Amino acid sequence: MPSWRENDERFIPAHYQPVILIDMLLGCGIDSHKLLRGTGLFHEDLLTGEVCVSPRQFLGLIGNARQLLKADDLSFLYGQRLLPGHYGAASHALCQVGNLEEALTLFSELRNLLTPLVAPRLIVEKHTASLYWVDAYGCGDQWRFLLEAGMVSVTSACRWLASSHLPWRFEFAHSQPAAVEQYWVHLDENVHFDCQVDRLSIPIEFLHQAWPGGTSIAASVARQQSERQVIELGARDGLLGALQIHFEKHIREPLNLHGVAEAFGCSPTTFKRKLKKHGTHFQQQLDLSRKRIALHLYRERGYANEQVAAYLRFNDATNFRRSFKRWTGVSPHVLKQDLG
Amino acid sequence: MKTLFALHRVKLAGLAVAANLGLIAYLVAGEIKPVAIWSWMDVFGEGGSALLVLCWIVLLLKSRPGGRVTALLFAGLACLFFSLWMDTLDEFIKVPVSITWDKWLESGPMPIGFILITLGIYHWHREQLAISQQMEKREGAFREHRLFDRLTPLSGADYLRLELQQALKTAQEDGWPLSLVVIDLDEFGHFNRTHGYAEGDRVLQTLSQYLLLNLRRHDLLCRLAGDRFVILLPNTGEFQARQLAEALKQAVAAWAYHRDQDGERLRLSASAASVTAREEDAESVLQRLNRVLASTREPIRARRA
Repeated sequence: MPSWRENDERFIPAHYQPVILIDMLLGCGIDSHKLLRGTGLFHEDLLTGEVCVSPRQFLGLIGNARQLLKADDLSFLYGQRLLPGHYGAASHALCQVGNLEEALTLFSELRNLLTPLVAPRLIVEKHTASLYWVDAYGCGDQWRFLLEAGMVSVTSACRWLASSHLPWRFEFAHSQPAAVEQYWVHLDENVHFDCQVDRLSIPIEFLHQAWPGGTSIAASVARQQSERQVIELGARDGLLGALQIHFEKHIREPLNLHGVAEAFGCSPTTFKRKLKKHGTHFQQQLDLSRKRIALHLYRERGYANEQVAAYLRFNDATNFRRSFKRWTGVSPHVLKQDLG
Repeated sequence: MKTLFALHRVKLAGLAVAANLGLIAYLVAGEIKPVAIWSWMDVFGEGGSALLVLCWIVLLLKSRPGGRVTALLFAGLACLFFSLWMDTLDEFIKVPVSITWDKWLESGPMPIGFILITLGIYHWHREQLAISQQMEKREGAFREHRLFDRLTPLSGADYLRLELQQALKTAQEDGWPLSLVVIDLDEFGHFNRTHGYAEGDRVLQTLSQYLLLNLRRHDLLCRLAGDRFVILLPNTGEFQARQLAEALKQAVAAWAYHRDQDGERLRLSASAASVTAREEDAESVLQRLNRVLASTREPIRARRA
């Protein structure tokens, strides 16, 4: 059994995240047939609580919802309702966390249950804790919607659990949208666009402040149960999410299609075909990973160009600069100035 | 469509009966022309016009509640349709020259229809003035229904941007100050989670009405996003704007909001801030306004773990 999922496998319980969106749209007077059109889902089936949907079906549903309602705030309002949610043990575990570190760890570990299409990766460094948002299935046009909803879901759940405001910094790879006021109101003033990566970060000193309501025994029980839940539901990383994790682990080794395909247990041809099915290809994914890691090393570890180049196995600096410019559109020098 | 026919059953049935009576009268009196002499140009011209008028009638009835203005416009359009309908029948049926009433049926209703429509439009104009009065503080120099807010009876951020651009231009030309106030409910996310999102929506709807009551005649209230409202204040300086922001904040604190399900009173509070426009564009004023609002909140400090 492969350790990842593809975009046409039905494993997301329909009554988890999809139903929250469906309920919102029905509440706005949208017709359920129109909403479910082309997704292969039926309203009656959803009520049974036993249906699972595939990422592709979920994306189709989101596409329909956006087209039918045409509201700038849909992703944000949806995000507010996503977490802690009613996802059994995983939601219980989230409600019992005692501080931000535990919460962020849960978001990252239970990503395939809590936010199945967008996979937040937690990286804690000396000064900052970062959640990088990874497109696990090639979400295409719906990525921005999912990202907005994901960022809102995590920060609004933390605010609810912490009973206080936290100084998040929001970074988005996309440019400032016309409806930027939605970001101001639903996220924060500390929102930045054209950042190359999608990242949520917070100073490290907020990680260990005790939150009200955290109980250690109940928390560890709920956590064990949620780990079982992950296994029972067969919630695994999406192909692209798993690939990014693989890259991250092996970035200091030589990486090529042949070797990675072998690690994923298929032939290079099959692997290529699977990537194509998710709207991407090997080099694109590798570049994405290197870009993210390079930026992280610059900013969070203060690495110099040579150090980053060496980390990413570039033999000479010129070659690295050229590649970096291809990934980001700017040279490392300019980017470092932009980052201040 | 079902409601259209249910609501205007009598009107539409009357029109259908009249059209059919006209047809029967022609058929009884005259005889059908051979196809060879049909003038297709006239059939398309007159028949097409009749169909278009019918479309107007459907749109009118679909878009307006009943009442005097609707009745006048309907009667006028119905006369117009009848006239064009008889004109079209004329192309298919030949009425003997000895009969003269057919000319009356063709040309008579037309001027009556135009008079009725004119009357209707005049009263519609009066009605619009009354509606504009009701839209006071919610609408500025122009109307754009596509920018109405989905939830509250206000306009949204895009409309605010348009009005703000216009107001900035006017303020610069006339040398008057222009200010903005922003008001944002505290812990609204918490409210939604505790009382439910439907209750939250109701709060926003009620709050928008309540804020309107606390504004001056020329102020414009818009919902920026979520639980954040912006008020555009023409001819208003910094001091006055700050006073209004404070007054609105106090108004929200004193607001007796009652929960829908059991009528229990819920207390709400809001943060407010104001800015006065300098020489800048709409986007940067809005951004500055939101930054000022953020700075009025308590600074976030890490507590000792």
